[in-house]
Amino acid sequence: MRFRTIAVTLLLTSLAIFITCVTMALVIRSDLFESRKDEALQNARGAVAQIQKRLDSSQVGDDQSSMAALWREVQGELGRAASSSRFIVLPTKIDGDGYAPNGFSNRLTADQLSDDLRTRVTAVPGNQAWQSIPLAATDGEEAAGIVVGQQLTVPDAGVYEVYVAYDLADADETLLFVQRTLWLAGIALVAIVAAISWLVLRAVSAPIIEAAETSARLASGDLEVRLPVHGEDELAALGRSFNAMADSIERQISELAELSLVQQRFVSDVSHELRTPLTTISLAAEMINDQKDDFDPTTARTAELLHTQVRRFETLLADLLEISRYDAGSVQLEVEATSLAQLAEEIVEQMGPLAATHDTELRLVAPGGYSPVDMDPRRVRRVLRNLIGNAIEHGEGQPIVITVDSDQRAVAVGVRDFGLGMLPEDAERVFDRFWRADPSRKRTIGGTGLGLSIALGDAKLHSGSLEVWSELGLGTNFVLTIPRGAGGLEGPSPVPLQPQESLADLGSVTEPIVLRPPASDRRDS
Amino acid sequence: MTSRILVVDDDTALAEMIGIVLRTEGFEALFCADGARAVDEWRSSRPDLVLLDLMLPGMDGIEICTRIRAESGVPIIMLTARSDTADVVRGLEVGADDYMVKPFNPKELVARIRTRLRPTPQATADVLRVGDLTIDVDAHEVRRGSTPIALTPLEFQLLVALASKPQQVFSREMLLEQVWGYHYKADTRLVNVHVQRLRAKVELDPDNPKIVMTVRGVGYRAGSVSQG
Repeated sequence: MRFRTIAVTLLLTSLAIFITCVTMALVIRSDLFESRKDEALQNARGAVAQIQKRLDSSQVGDDQSSMAALWREVQGELGRAASSSRFIVLPTKIDGDGYAPNGFSNRLTADQLSDDLRTRVTAVPGNQAWQSIPLAATDGEEAAGIVVGQQLTVPDAGVYEVYVAYDLADADETLLFVQRTLWLAGIALVAIVAAISWLVLRAVSAPIIEAAETSARLASGDLEVRLPVHGEDELAALGRSFNAMADSIERQISELAELSLVQQRFVSDVSHELRTPLTTISLAAEMINDQKDDFDPTTARTAELLHTQVRRFETLLADLLEISRYDAGSVQLEVEATSLAQLAEEIVEQMGPLAATHDTELRLVAPGGYSPVDMDPRRVRRVLRNLIGNAIEHGEGQPIVITVDSDQRAVAVGVRDFGLGMLPEDAERVFDRFWRADPSRKRTIGGTGLGLSIALGDAKLHSGSLEVWSELGLGTNFVLTIPRGAGGLEGPSPVPLQPQESLADLGSVTEPIVLRPPASDRRDS
Repeated sequence: MTSRILVVDDDTALAEMIGIVLRTEGFEALFCADGARAVDEWRSSRPDLVLLDLMLPGMDGIEICTRIRAESGVPIIMLTARSDTADVVRGLEVGADDYMVKPFNPKELVARIRTRLRPTPQATADVLRVGDLTIDVDAHEVRRGSTPIALTPLEFQLLVALASKPQQVFSREMLLEQVWGYHYKADTRLVNVHVQRLRAKVELDPDNPKIVMTVRGVGYRAGSVSQG
């Protein structure tokens, strides 16, 4: 903005100064010319008047020799009186009866005089006429000049024309000097204006830029930044109101943060405090459960229920703790270069027994994703176990396809089931805590309702994403994408969220489609 | 001979319950509820293993662990309510062999204890060599030249596991299974921290290891034999 303003200011200033200079130059030139012209006219008039007077007063009569002598005197006097060395005297009309001397000239020829000038001079006696003419200067160049003509009456001889030329070279020089000075002054003015406008703009824009930077920092979470306030002007008012706003924001955020911190700490403390007695209960329940064969059926079943529910309580507590850690932002990744395809294979193997109890087949399709990528394998395993567990629970016994693939930017794993699927509005809520798609549906595996929230937290912790696609009657697809670098995700995931194939495309249920890792990972190389 | 296990926990109910579990499994349980007295109790009773709660009145588990480690390589398993990185890693760094996060189940507890109490598995040879070290498996001794290096039983097992198959690269998971007895995915930080502790003792320059080499993205392997 500053440069644009300066450019516009400079352009306008330059234009104004240019116009002023040109106008001034023209005015000065015409003034200078006028004054020189007036001077020339006056000099010429004075000189002619002087000569005329002398001629009139001399009583030469018909004496040719005295006339010639007078004429010579006149020649010398004209130059002195007119203050010019350029003059010419031409006979116009010889009608007297006396001796009529010839015209004479000095450094001015009749050729240089235009007919128009001569006509004007001869038209009215005593009338002065002038004309601009080029004059040969001393150095051979042509200089501007002015020639003034007037009639001179030689008694008893006739009428002569007297022309006196004046050199305007000195005026030209003055003009040139004035113009040069004008231009220099103009350029200096433009430079000064530029400097002043830059300084003024800086004085105005620096606080604005500072305010912009400060608000950007405030927006990015640095709540302690404030604007310095100087004086009483508008910028100070801006600074004061900005600071007041920042104070208010900081106060409210810190209040909120404190409140949420208290809550988080409470959840964390409660969870931890519960753990020690829960450990005792869990150990006791386990011990009792181990001896249930010795009990009567009712007590045995009671022991069994106690045992399973204590287990459930444990996982719930563990999930709550994990969530409270995410809320507190105290989760740290234990990053390790890990092959996602191998990790998925391990998990598929681990989940095999659970899948078998639900008559579900797990299929791993891994065209890519073998080369190690930095991730926290514990968390990724947990996410995968959770996704596959969910898929087994909701997959209605249909095969579950686990797809691992990669591209230059990311690795991804998709878990697709062909179960009942969900309505889109339900799919949007799957990551909500304690949310269940169908509250009436029987819980067989018995998650805590926090698994997907934790999985999403894990994905975000990796700067990755966990997305869901689901359609009623078609099934559900979860895609976990982890970027290779720290730069985060861009572009589509290597594993498409919207599955292309239907179950029929995947071939027979009995057909094994588990791919083993090839010798070299062509996609990753 | 029954193994004697010192349970250091201020929660008497839990300590008693752990005692019941241990006795059921044929161990002898000793108790100490006060952190400040735990080290003295350990010195007087010389148990075969210590179950140590991290949060104790008097003196915290980390400090107790540090003091016991200064005198002995006795197996120490931490019990912690917090699995947060800092706590666990701090405990491992001061020398705890393993840790269990509450709540744990009795079978797991017993399995962990048995792993730590079992004798070093027989290696293929009586004397192993790695780098410029000589490992006398039977005598439970590691020497550099004629200078013996004191290792805890866990560190010794770790070194023997690596040295007995010098050609093999061990993933962290393999080491967790062989040395810690975990048959499922466990915390690989156990391996990382103990490899660091082992290196601090056996390497001439722990920043440039020659005995326990890192194979990036895979795990660890023993350094090649040299006549140092």
